[in-house]
Amino acid sequence: MFIAGNNSPIKNTSYKVVFPFYSYAALSFLVATILILNNTSAFTQHYFNPHTLAITHTMALGWGTMIILGASHQLFPVLIEGKLYSNFLAYLSFIFAATGIPLLVFAFYTFNMGLVAQAGATLINLAVISYLVNLWLSMSNSKKQNIHAVFALTAVLWLFTTTLLGFLLVWNYTSNLLSEDSVHYLSLHAHLGIIGWFLLMIMGVGSRLIPMFLISKYENVKRLWWVYSLINAGLLSFIFIFISSLKSLLYFIPIALIGLGVILFGKHIYQSYAKRIRKKVDEQVKTSMLSVALTVVPIIVLIAIILLFTTGNSVKLVLLYGFTIFFGWITTIILGMTFKTLPFIIWNKVYSSIASLGKTPNPKELFNNTIFIASAITYIIGFIIFGLGIIQTNILILNIGAIFLLITAVLYNFNVFKILLHKKK
Amino acid sequence: MDIKTNNDIKSNFAITSLYNVIDPEIGLNIIDLGLVYEIDFNEERKDIVVTMTLTTQFCPMGESIVESTTQAMQQSFPEDKILVNLIFEPPWNQSMISEAGNTFLTS
Repeated sequence: MFIAGNNSPIKNTSYKVVFPFYSYAALSFLVATILILNNTSAFTQHYFNPHTLAITHTMALGWGTMIILGASHQLFPVLIEGKLYSNFLAYLSFIFAATGIPLLVFAFYTFNMGLVAQAGATLINLAVISYLVNLWLSMSNSKKQNIHAVFALTAVLWLFTTTLLGFLLVWNYTSNLLSEDSVHYLSLHAHLGIIGWFLLMIMGVGSRLIPMFLISKYENVKRLWWVYSLINAGLLSFIFIFISSLKSLLYFIPIALIGLGVILFGKHIYQSYAKRIRKKVDEQVKTSMLSVALTVVPIIVLIAIILLFTTGNSVKLVLLYGFTIFFGWITTIILGMTFKTLPFIIWNKVYSSIASLGKTPNPKELFNNTIFIASAITYIIGFIIFGLGIIQTNILILNIGAIFLLITAVLYNFNVFKILLHKKK
Repeated sequence: MDIKTNNDIKSNFAITSLYNVIDPEIGLNIIDLGLVYEIDFNEERKDIVVTMTLTTQFCPMGESIVESTTQAMQQSFPEDKILVNLIFEPPWNQSMISEAGNTFLTS
């Protein structure tokens, strides 16, 4: 390829870097749904129990974080108009995370917070450090920075804060490092990850990708800066209120700030949709847009938790809150975006060099769309039924919901491995 | 959109070959999308410069599209050196899409 002039197309990260992250995440989703089906009774008890902790960390780290790590190694160069600093650091990050996550999950499941948990937490932190260094150096070497990259890099800094606190919480079980017991810090640890890592990263990448897939020329950088400021201000105010042990009603301040940020982001996505050039919207983008709408659900549940704080009902609402985040909003966007990113990564690997020389399959033909639609349906059914099961504290309803979620994970894995194992036709 | 050129006959041949370059995400060729701005034939240097853009500067399929453009041109003009000049000014917009392209995208 000979380029005249100063511009060159974005240099894509090798598929070899991304492949392990996607495979690992898909299998983690399957493991999480198997764990849920085997432990539905955990969702009728207090949220702080070994099995719930194990499932939450399988979802947060094995599923959500691993797929975001994989996708961002591919997408970060797109956001910074540069290239990934090091494939080696990406591999290192994968190896540390892939060994650390099962150790931590096993430790939670058996509630052995000694050596195994400590090793798992250490490895996960090494993975995050490798990832952070890689992204930081990629951004330093890049010619341009933009709001989307700022979202992503800030998200990674919050991820590091989350895993570092997690590391301290694990050690606190055996060494009393902190002034309170580890349970006291759970909501701080959880929200650093949920808001700082997942929400900021999804917003940063989503605000770039969704308009791009819709072929929308809508741009509003000023509004995205507002979203960024509101979310970070909300999270910082939450940390301040938490550390200062102020009244629970003050938590409405961060909720209002973050809620406003979410509404503005939703408006941004809606306007991208309204001003799209491509009228037909595929199922994958529709699923991703559903995720944006689903962001509101945990916020509503959170408001209910604060209002019902002194009653026994808040315990199951906390379970519902976590479920609507990990199995609702985060899972929905991953279900959609996997099939907007992975087929193109593999298509680039297999067909890019021969694309103009004859007919090649469309990237969408690398997976089975009927199975995708089936998985979306089983997912929505499973999500609603399981959520009802939590509210009703009913094992039968929980089991039915868990079966649908397991079917979703099986169908998702089928399609992911169909893409990953695709050979030239 | 009219594609600027200094050789109408060769340009028609080039455009025919560039109809085979498809944006894999959109499923539409780069001519109907209006991504090609100019095709410049230099008989002395024996090179052809295709000045083109992408739907967005951040297009992850950009590398593939540029490579396919080079390949398609090389197949049609094996004796010439093919160069792609990627520009983002003027930025691509809907008015650059052909009627056939608009029908494809809005149907």
